[in-house]
Amino acid sequence: MTSTDDLIRSLASAAGTRRSASLRSALAVTGVASLVCALLLVFSVIGIRQDFAEMAVRMPFGFKLAYTGALAVGASVVVLYAATPGASATALYALSPAVILSALGVIFDPTAFPIMGRTDTAVASCVGAILFLSLPAMILIFVVMRKGAPTQPLFAGAVIGLLSASVGAMAYTLACKNDGTAFVAIWYGAACAIMAAIGAVVGHRVLRW
Amino acid sequence: MTVEEREQRWGEAMRAELRGDAAAYERMLKEVATVLRRSLGPRLVRVGLGAHESEDLVQEILIGLHAKRHTWDPARPFLPWLHAITRYKLIDFMRHRRRETRLRVDLPLEDWLEIVESPADEAYRASWEVDRHLAVLPVSQRKIVRAIAVEGASVRNVARGLATSEGAVRVTLHRAIRRLLGASDPAPTKLPPRNEHDKHR
Repeated sequence: MTSTDDLIRSLASAAGTRRSASLRSALAVTGVASLVCALLLVFSVIGIRQDFAEMAVRMPFGFKLAYTGALAVGASVVVLYAATPGASATALYALSPAVILSALGVIFDPTAFPIMGRTDTAVASCVGAILFLSLPAMILIFVVMRKGAPTQPLFAGAVIGLLSASVGAMAYTLACKNDGTAFVAIWYGAACAIMAAIGAVVGHRVLRW
Repeated sequence: MTVEEREQRWGEAMRAELRGDAAAYERMLKEVATVLRRSLGPRLVRVGLGAHESEDLVQEILIGLHAKRHTWDPARPFLPWLHAITRYKLIDFMRHRRRETRLRVDLPLEDWLEIVESPADEAYRASWEVDRHLAVLPVSQRKIVRAIAVEGASVRNVARGLATSEGAVRVTLHRAIRRLLGASDPAPTKLPPRNEHDKHR
């Protein structure tokens, strides 16, 4: 009883001291920073496509950008939802544009690009590159999430993995040689699923408060 | 206080806290503590935890509320936010308790081997020896000696179990002990046939 009263008094004495910036702006800054990190990695380690200027105006590149962009925006909304206790679950609908885009990409693929890629290593290098590029984003967003109050650490970690994979994939579009919408929808999605699984495991351990 | 009133009151106090009103914030924290104590106490009692643990949990929740208060949006209702935090802290608390309990009662492999090997062996031998000694007694006496001296039952319970008086049990026990002492004598004693003894019990 008395120790609780003491605790309450000491908590109350900190009233009005304002804490860090809102989670939303922190996440926006982090998102931009992690995209910059991923782009630097693309330029320095992987290298952009030789025919970049020519490729950038064609449809597959547009699809890649729209798909990863929709994923990044949707996952950001869901990350904020996961970081806020008692938030409305309608935030989950923010992921639907990305889901619809990927379904459309698989069903109405106009490119006739093979699903397993043109070379044997296409799938492995594509997924591997996205995982590699999303690592800085993953670390940065976990740091931001520790400021939030995730009441489901496993879920929060999974969404962080999804968001970091979409940032990594967005940077990877500059280097990606696989110009098929079905290929992109499937294998970018697979990379997101792997990162989400890793994030869930990490989040379960790291995001307790 | 109805839910709407409470929402109104605590939400207002949280907004006052934003402006640095420590008194309003302190009053609200006290009310929250009282409500939590009342609602969590019975729940914890049901899983075998006492008032001490429930007070610990209340403090945990208050600290969580305070540390994460920036995640509450003043434009949104306060009670769902508090509920989510309370629920998270309750689950986390139970998880910790479970882990602690497991560590406290967990048995290392070496201890386990000790239990299943030598002492069990000894106990087995001992009980076998007791059986051997008691074999010299007639059935009725053996039952009573086993119940009282080996299993540690009280005279009254044994009497009730056999539907006789306590006095009769005591007398039988005495006779049995005398017989056992006689049996452990080095001099060979001839055992009379059992059914004959069973007759005059």
